[in-house]
Amino acid sequence: MLYRVIDAAELPQLVAAFMEKYEVVAPVRSGRSFAFEVVTSFDEIVLDYPTTITSLKKYYLPPRETLFEFDMGENEVRDFEMQVKPRVLFGAHACDINALNCLNSVFEDARYPDPYYEAHRAATMVVGISCMPSEGCFCHLLDSDEARSGYNLFLADIGGRYLVSIGSVEAANILESACNPRVATDEDRIAFRHATRRRQQAFNPDIPDIQEIPMLMDAFHSDPFWEELGGRCLSCTACSSVCPTCYCFDIRDTLDPDGATGRRERVWDACTSPQFAQVAGGHNFRDDGRNRVRHRMYHKLNGFLATHDRNLCVGCGRCVYACKANISPIEVLKFFERKGADNAQ
Amino acid sequence: MQKMTSANNGAGEQERAPRVVFVGLASCFGCQINITNAEAYLLDVLGQIDLRYWQLTHSEPMPDEFDVAVVEGAVTTEEAAETLLEVRRRAKAVITIGACAATAGIPGMASEHYLPRPVQVYGEHIPEACGTMCAPRPVKSVIDVDFEVACCPVEPLEFVRVLQQVLYGSNRFRRSSTLCGECKRNERGCFYGRETLCLGLVTRSGCGAKCPNLGRPCNGCAGLSPDANVASARAVCERSGVSVARFDAALEMFNQTNPLVASAEVEGE
Repeated sequence: MLYRVIDAAELPQLVAAFMEKYEVVAPVRSGRSFAFEVVTSFDEIVLDYPTTITSLKKYYLPPRETLFEFDMGENEVRDFEMQVKPRVLFGAHACDINALNCLNSVFEDARYPDPYYEAHRAATMVVGISCMPSEGCFCHLLDSDEARSGYNLFLADIGGRYLVSIGSVEAANILESACNPRVATDEDRIAFRHATRRRQQAFNPDIPDIQEIPMLMDAFHSDPFWEELGGRCLSCTACSSVCPTCYCFDIRDTLDPDGATGRRERVWDACTSPQFAQVAGGHNFRDDGRNRVRHRMYHKLNGFLATHDRNLCVGCGRCVYACKANISPIEVLKFFERKGADNAQ
Repeated sequence: MQKMTSANNGAGEQERAPRVVFVGLASCFGCQINITNAEAYLLDVLGQIDLRYWQLTHSEPMPDEFDVAVVEGAVTTEEAAETLLEVRRRAKAVITIGACAATAGIPGMASEHYLPRPVQVYGEHIPEACGTMCAPRPVKSVIDVDFEVACCPVEPLEFVRVLQQVLYGSNRFRRSSTLCGECKRNERGCFYGRETLCLGLVTRSGCGAKCPNLGRPCNGCAGLSPDANVASARAVCERSGVSVARFDAALEMFNQTNPLVASAEVEGE
């Protein structure tokens, strides 16, 4: 990886250079929280945002997306061209870049490539930015606190300047033209080392660091804990709405009001929705909160790892805030900690 | 998709559009009116059906033959219940529109301790025009309902979508998940973080969480989800500094006759 250093004062020029050719999406203030939205000036961007209500997945997998259009009278599929905007996702945290990497490994699986997803991704540049953990962050416990790939630029704040990791030629050219990137000095490297150490020490110590999580998920599969956790699920699916790696979808046909034409659409779905595992004939394979919540946690902390060699939970903490019933992977980690206590029953 | 056509198609007769009737029971008729707000598409929609009767606009009595019945309003009289039984016998499909039909809605608020109420209002001489009054109840407590268009009032295009589902069939499945998931898709913060009561925790999704998106808490007009976890929602209130008693009282506006609301006393059943 190639590294350069730019001054913080150069960032507005970098964003302006992106805006010449791309739609720029960045974290902005939204009510009492933050959201990724299209920005038209650097001043709208909140560089030190803690987290956002929802994630960046909406730009690769829109909550509602037309797959094709059809004509009812002719009983035919019409030509349909999807509109893809060249876009820069500016200010992604490491957890969210890792989350996009998870989605990539699903939707760009060579056996089942998804042309809609690929079209969005191919038109998108990712510019990451370093962060300081907030109360609900636990990316470091799930190996997602560093972005090792999946970005075009990554800006590490080293105090008044950024150590920039360069991940693509296209981004390097824009960086080169908009700023005056210089070679890192020993002083820069030491500042980077201090910054990473400060960050490592800032994670919430109340969230337990558990070894062998996937193994424990299997070992405690039948524990009464799952009834306790899932029994309070509100079946609202807020968890998967905000999750950067929940990628399940439903497909449905929507007619236009004239009944003559319509669209086949892909919409987000969620395994915590009561009907998610209901099949023809009416049987529901996961017909209560215990089974649904346990299934979701398994996919996040066990199942995905087996096939994609990474945790599907990236520890971003969004569900920690979104779930009013206080259900999150942190509760699972705390459960494992209780089971490991000297006086555990 | 199998297309629904008029029942009395003879051989060789030209295919006729399904005959539709609109029946109004106890309600403000706001849902029927709101459908006309789909004005940009009204002629398109009327072109797909044979509208035989619309209580709001017709002086003639309802015809005997029809294919689809659209019902607004709660059942508040024995006569209304009989009308529904007759509708069910004749219709191939029954759609209810609005909260009053689906949950007994606003009329349902009076269902608890209902029987003394007419006397309180009218005295001993209850006008004949009132009919034989009974505790307000939802349409589905009297007849089988094929499709429900939820909310108070209904969203006009949602009605059109459900009507088309009846006319042409559909692969769409109605979900029982509650509102917060849709609210989060709108990227809204939560009222409970501001100690503000919101019924989204237990209310069936499908409306797109419009009210919270406009800055107003959900008042539950889509009705309790059959999978609502009322006990867990009460615990959320407790943790969030919102009175559980207020939560329970708010639920009664649209769910008075729902057995999931523990305080509700279902009469007349």
